[in-house]
Amino acid sequence: MQYLFLIGCSLFFIGAIAALLIRPIKHALSIVVVITVLALAINLIFALMRLIALPMVTDLFPVFSDHASLFRADGLALFFLLVITTVAIPTVISTYSYLQHYLHKEASVRSFLISFSLLLLSTQLLVFANHSIVFLVCWELMTLMAYLGMLLEKEKEEVQKGSFIFFTTTHMATLFLYIFFFLLHDHFGSWSFSDFHLSSSMGTIFYLVCGFGFLGFGIKAGFMPMHFWLPWAHPIAPAPLSAFLSGVIIKTGIYGIFRVIEFCSPLPVWMGIIILVVSVFSAIFGVWYALTQHDIKKLLAYHSIENIGIIGIGIGLGVLGVSYSIQSLVWLGFGGALFHTFNHAIFKTLLFLGSGVICHNCHTRDIEKMGGIVHHASWFVGLFLIGSIAISGIPPFNGFMSEFLIYKGFFNAAAALGNYFPLLMLLLSVGLAFVGGLALVCFTKINSIMFLGTERSSLQSFKVSSTEYTALGMLASLCILFGIYPQSVLGIISSVITFNHAGIIIQPYTMFTHWEFLTVIFVSVLLTIVCVVLWKKFNTNQRISQAWGCGYTALTPRMQYTASSYADEINSIASQTLHLEKHVTAPKTLFPQPSHFVSHAEDFSEKRFIAPMYKYIMNKIDSFEFLSRTDIRFYISFMLIMAIIYGGIAIVWPH
Amino acid sequence: MENVLSILFCLTLLYLVITSRLKTYVAILRTQGVLLSAIMIFPFMRHLSVHILIIPLMSLIVKAIIIPRFINKIIIDLDVKRIVEPSIQPFNFLLLSVASMSTIFVAAHVLSGYTPIEPIPFASAFSAIVTGIFLIIFRKKLIVHVVGFLILENGIFLFGTSVAAEMPTIVELGAMLDVFVVVFLMGIAINKISSTFAKQDVTVLGKLKD
Repeated sequence: MQYLFLIGCSLFFIGAIAALLIRPIKHALSIVVVITVLALAINLIFALMRLIALPMVTDLFPVFSDHASLFRADGLALFFLLVITTVAIPTVISTYSYLQHYLHKEASVRSFLISFSLLLLSTQLLVFANHSIVFLVCWELMTLMAYLGMLLEKEKEEVQKGSFIFFTTTHMATLFLYIFFFLLHDHFGSWSFSDFHLSSSMGTIFYLVCGFGFLGFGIKAGFMPMHFWLPWAHPIAPAPLSAFLSGVIIKTGIYGIFRVIEFCSPLPVWMGIIILVVSVFSAIFGVWYALTQHDIKKLLAYHSIENIGIIGIGIGLGVLGVSYSIQSLVWLGFGGALFHTFNHAIFKTLLFLGSGVICHNCHTRDIEKMGGIVHHASWFVGLFLIGSIAISGIPPFNGFMSEFLIYKGFFNAAAALGNYFPLLMLLLSVGLAFVGGLALVCFTKINSIMFLGTERSSLQSFKVSSTEYTALGMLASLCILFGIYPQSVLGIISSVITFNHAGIIIQPYTMFTHWEFLTVIFVSVLLTIVCVVLWKKFNTNQRISQAWGCGYTALTPRMQYTASSYADEINSIASQTLHLEKHVTAPKTLFPQPSHFVSHAEDFSEKRFIAPMYKYIMNKIDSFEFLSRTDIRFYISFMLIMAIIYGGIAIVWPH
Repeated sequence: MENVLSILFCLTLLYLVITSRLKTYVAILRTQGVLLSAIMIFPFMRHLSVHILIIPLMSLIVKAIIIPRFINKIIIDLDVKRIVEPSIQPFNFLLLSVASMSTIFVAAHVLSGYTPIEPIPFASAFSAIVTGIFLIIFRKKLIVHVVGFLILENGIFLFGTSVAAEMPTIVELGAMLDVFVVVFLMGIAINKISSTFAKQDVTVLGKLKD
């Protein structure tokens, strides 16, 4: 057991080498998938065993005991390892069938497999890093490997653009993290996470460190003003990678924020309030932008922003709990955030993998061109529907459970804190409820437009392979399991929080709610629904025909509701904030003429902040264009000049 | 004795600056190779052993025999014009080099007060680095760039011996291999370039830009 994790990690290397060497590519693909799943399963077992033994654990990482300062397996790290491995196993399984479509491009598939195995490895090592430099190396490796994985279809122009935006943005995040860690090292004289103890009495350094930390990790996580890379990067990535990006990689940002919070003690109240406000903002506008999208993967990317917002709300509540030392609030806030991290990883992976299947079969990502898929693959639609219900936060599924914890956190904070907090918490809970409502609209939109009705463009067949069913089925059953039996995770989360906030003794989680009643209620509701459906199916004589078209006889598929028309009512409420533009060319004469309707929403942060900033910087850089020469001798002279300047500074610098 | 050899090394640099014939460049490289191996052997003259002799002998073979031969071969194969085309008057170049060298010597003298270095080998090494860079900056011919790079490398080599009497053997051998490979690659590259472009100048390389 001691060396389980080590074996798991080395298997990823073996997988990468196998991807490089084994010929033909078909065998390489299956062998790599098997090796990687095996490695992930080993790490999953490791994480579970350590997590269950958590309160008793004294040595933090038995495997690397002589390098105790480099790696540390504390509760938070183990929890994130659990999330990563749980989600990665179905993702890797579905990679097998996804890459079948690309087998003719051998080199691309090989490089994808290599970068994906190294991506999995670096993400898992990242959460264990206790040394800043190790952390940064894993962080860079993760970014780089994700970028290389995105280039599977590198001949497409949108792929080049999207991956470039991902690359530059995440590098900017890394730059902030460099500053963050250098500041910490400068102040504490150590690179170890366990040596960093910030407190607000330190003055400027505290604000600087917190600012850079939240900025760097926030960009990665995709909080609202810094989210602009997500809608570019997710659509162009191959489906398994975008599932992993959304399920895990942006969660590393959340992991980082948890770490920053751990460094600070005592936690100031304003930090919690800032996190809450930013999170509510990103939750509301994330889901609203999602509602305006026509591209299925872009839509899901905006939903990631929404869910990151919900996780952030949980974190904010937990921070408030720590700063006022209210144990129940700490548990509800941080517990809700961690649980939602896990849940979002599960259902978002399910939805992204599902969208990959849809895109391959329909050859488009545009929702408006799909329709009637349920007539081809009803089981697949059922699985996708489970993911949709779970992400909307509807009771029998896991999304509800974590949001339930956060709602309870609101009420708990309002009751315990008094002062202006009841009002704030009321506003926030209304905001969260609004988010849930919008998410519901959004997912009824995509489910009804994509799956129901008749086909808008002809769809001969809709193939879902058995590996895809396996992957989606695993995730869907986790959605149901965590929904009706949340105790399985809540116990682990309790011990994680107790372990990582050692100053706070958490009461048993059963104190807050009688979870077993919820289980009983949900199971009975589910059983009733199943019974009713079965009864209806066998006891009524159904008549199958097209939907009633108001007596109009010459119906065509184009006369169905479209996704934009479905969402138009809600979108037009905030059309100015969302930059929603509609262009209609309607016939002006009495006789029918060709007419068009186009609607699209532009991201305000991209349009108002990022694009102008980029333009400004590019203009500034252009003014240095005279330095750009084709002759190498100029560059060597520049280097010499710079060396002289540095040397001069070094001589003059006071010792 | 080391100091005398280092001064000689510096004189070869000055000669390098004013000459305009490719043949002389190669001759100077050869001389510097011999000088460098001599500088390396001298501190250990009293108690010679095979272990100590490996590096000087290797550098003698690579720097004084193989590389000059190889460069000569390139010059003959490609029929390079035997005259270099300076982009600066030789006299100005000489002035510049002398000025920088004297600055370096003064700086080395000042520095030797603080840190345990031998000022003359140190300064000669530094001058070689700077002269190598100057040579690359002020000459157009690609083959001269190779020579400039080698002079720079010689400087770094001497630097190592002046700072620490004995560099780790493996590092020196690694550096030697490095230089050998680089010269080899540059030879191939120049060969290829000459089949694409008529002139072997850096000025034409701008056309490779996309």
